[in-house]
Amino acid sequence: VCTSRFWFNYRHVANTLSVYRSVKRLGIPDSHIVLMLADDMACNPRNPKPATVFSHKNMELNVYGDDVEVDYRSYEVTVENFLRVLTGRIPPSTPRSKRLLSDDRSNILIYMTGHGGNGFLKFQDSEEITNVELADAFEQMWQKRRYNELLFIIDTCQGASMYERFYSPNIMALASSQVGEDSLSHQPDLGIGVHLMDRYTFYVLEFLEEIHPASQTNMNDLFQVCPKSLCVSTPGHRTDLFQRDPQKVLITDFFGSVRKVEITTEALSLDQNVAGFESKFPEEELATEPLKYAEQLPVAQIIHQKPKQKDWHPPGGFILGLWALIIMVFFKTYGIKHMKHVF
Amino acid sequence: MAAPLVLVVLAAVTVRAALYRSSLAVFIAERVEVASPLNAWKRVVEGLALLDLGVSPYSGAIFHETPLIVYLFHFLIEYAELVFMITDVLTAVALYLAIQDFNKVVFKKQKLLIELDKYAPDVAELIQTPMEMHYIPLKVALFYLLNPYTVMSCVAKSTCAINNSVIAFFILATIKGSAFLSAVFLALATYQSLYPVTLFAPALLYLLQRQFIPIKLKSKSFWLYTMQYASLYLCSLVVIICLSFFLLNSWDFIPSVYGFILSVPDLTPNIGLFWYFFAEMFEHFSLFFVCVFQINVFFYTIPLAIKLKEHPVFFMFVQLAIISIFKSYPTLGDVALYMAFLPVWSHLYRYYLFYKKFLKSCILQMLHSRLRLCNLSSTPATVLRNIFILSCVLIFCSFLFPVLWHLWIYAGSANSNFYYAITLTFNIGQILLISDYFYAFLRREYYLTHGLHLTRQDGTEAMLVLK
Repeated sequence: VCTSRFWFNYRHVANTLSVYRSVKRLGIPDSHIVLMLADDMACNPRNPKPATVFSHKNMELNVYGDDVEVDYRSYEVTVENFLRVLTGRIPPSTPRSKRLLSDDRSNILIYMTGHGGNGFLKFQDSEEITNVELADAFEQMWQKRRYNELLFIIDTCQGASMYERFYSPNIMALASSQVGEDSLSHQPDLGIGVHLMDRYTFYVLEFLEEIHPASQTNMNDLFQVCPKSLCVSTPGHRTDLFQRDPQKVLITDFFGSVRKVEITTEALSLDQNVAGFESKFPEEELATEPLKYAEQLPVAQIIHQKPKQKDWHPPGGFILGLWALIIMVFFKTYGIKHMKHVF
Repeated sequence: MAAPLVLVVLAAVTVRAALYRSSLAVFIAERVEVASPLNAWKRVVEGLALLDLGVSPYSGAIFHETPLIVYLFHFLIEYAELVFMITDVLTAVALYLAIQDFNKVVFKKQKLLIELDKYAPDVAELIQTPMEMHYIPLKVALFYLLNPYTVMSCVAKSTCAINNSVIAFFILATIKGSAFLSAVFLALATYQSLYPVTLFAPALLYLLQRQFIPIKLKSKSFWLYTMQYASLYLCSLVVIICLSFFLLNSWDFIPSVYGFILSVPDLTPNIGLFWYFFAEMFEHFSLFFVCVFQINVFFYTIPLAIKLKEHPVFFMFVQLAIISIFKSYPTLGDVALYMAFLPVWSHLYRYYLFYKKFLKSCILQMLHSRLRLCNLSSTPATVLRNIFILSCVLIFCSFLFPVLWHLWIYAGSANSNFYYAITLTFNIGQILLISDYFYAFLRREYYLTHGLHLTRQDGTEAMLVLK
């Protein structure tokens, strides 16, 4: 989630997109990612390289492109929408790509960046989310069994204040700076004119570059990723709510999507199960041929349809009365002698 | 005179047929200026479709046509375009014949009054001659058929054309002198759109004049004839209404047609005056103002009847104009009907040219130092003074209607005030046109009986003013 907009917050968008890219590279598909961005960088009139968002100076890496799927963009990135995504209390008309379709076996990674303060995070310059609200949202998720384990990373000023209030189990949190400290940006690009990344995220990404889907690196290495000499601020982390030992938690548990695939060379026969199903059907269904789509709309019949016969006819008494009147008027004006001309 | 009329009819039919085939037909059919909730073609089609589905067409608030129209179009809906073209042609032919007869009547009356020495001696230029009046019927038919308002109204297939044709037949019947037919057609016209009931007075006056019955309140023959005509009219109206009951076996059509006309519930913008007022009025007052506005339409009959009792056909013209300005859902088709009559009164400004010649001869004689009481004022003394400005106003407003409609509804940069301003201007133009004709007509009548040079008691020249 990138919670800021406007051109001078380029780096927050670049942060988010870089983490998105890493996570996709490690195997998580778009259907499992909810990306919330203001998305006003690539096509911003101040962008000297339109349709690109660079995350490294000298424009080495364009993190924007055709395969970036933004689920909540621009003014849809609001506190309400974020909390609704987390808790699942979403209107029924929301498409699947905008939902967090997690269950109690899912590990969730939440990465947030933007401007923050002591106990709050600013959303789009108009509203804030407080650490209490976030903690309560996570508790709702826990009660609804929407996560198995949750990793929360935040890269803002005074970010550690955001995880102070968590009280639900199985949450691990990392922040880029402590209360009272500011997170700083990494490097400006003189060609684009803004800072391209924040320091903490930059070093996290450098760390993630070495991770591949099968690597065994654990969380403790992630905690050490940005010492004070490089980051200027002091990164923090919180593991007391987490039930496993961080030493044993793999990075790929959260950042990658590793499926266990067993290859077998045996042939399994499924006949018994299928027979059980089929016996139900013949009593319930009539034997019909499956209709192809084209056959359901016989075009020839529709084209040559005759116009519908009119069903309503004026009553006979009315027609009789009307014509009788007309004939009466006619003969009153022109006299009976004209009758022989008419007939 | 038949050949030029046939030519005009052919030309008109060609224009209409060409427009029906072009893409403008759909655009014109949707214009609110020609299609009001009372006479839009879309609503007729919808009502007939409802009837085919077994539902009474009056059950919604869409259909406001009379059952006779339902009957007519039930069989003729596939030939709708032909029906409307034939209707227009019939209207024009009826007007042609009516004005032909009217000219004969006018001429006869003029001759009678000259023989009776009722006219002042120096009004030679004001008398109408058969030569001038020869082409008037053709001009009337031309004005009706080729008027852009009529053409648009026909292309939009608005049933106003049918109403116009019934009124035209009514005028024909009245001028021919047949009281029975004129009562029947007036009943039909009233049955369709209620307001022609005000044409009862001019028709009555004309028929009385034709029967040489003097219009005095104490005269027995006057009351006898009035009663006869009124009973003919009322009986035919009742018969027609009862007959239309039998079409659908219900009285639903009375609130749908007459209740709708009188209570103006639908406030779709049109070229009339009602919609804007009632759109912004509080519910509390709407009944009062509906009554006021409706009385406004009917009210002018009585003063006009008193003033114009010698000239019932002019009265009919003014009354038609008043109906089409003040009725609750006017359309351009109504405007076209009374505009067709304008050539009949074209003599009202024609003699301005004669007057100019007279003025020149006056000046010459002055130069020859002959004392002559000559009106040396530079203002034209008896003339339709504002025709040029008013026709410009009307044409200009007609072009601005679609422009401001587009700006209001589609572009969103104007609002209803703009459109209503043009409506107001258009109606003011029409009212001034009618009052100009009225003024010129009365002035001419005054000059005919009192002479062209008006002098006050002390011998200085005077001028007529309409107060």
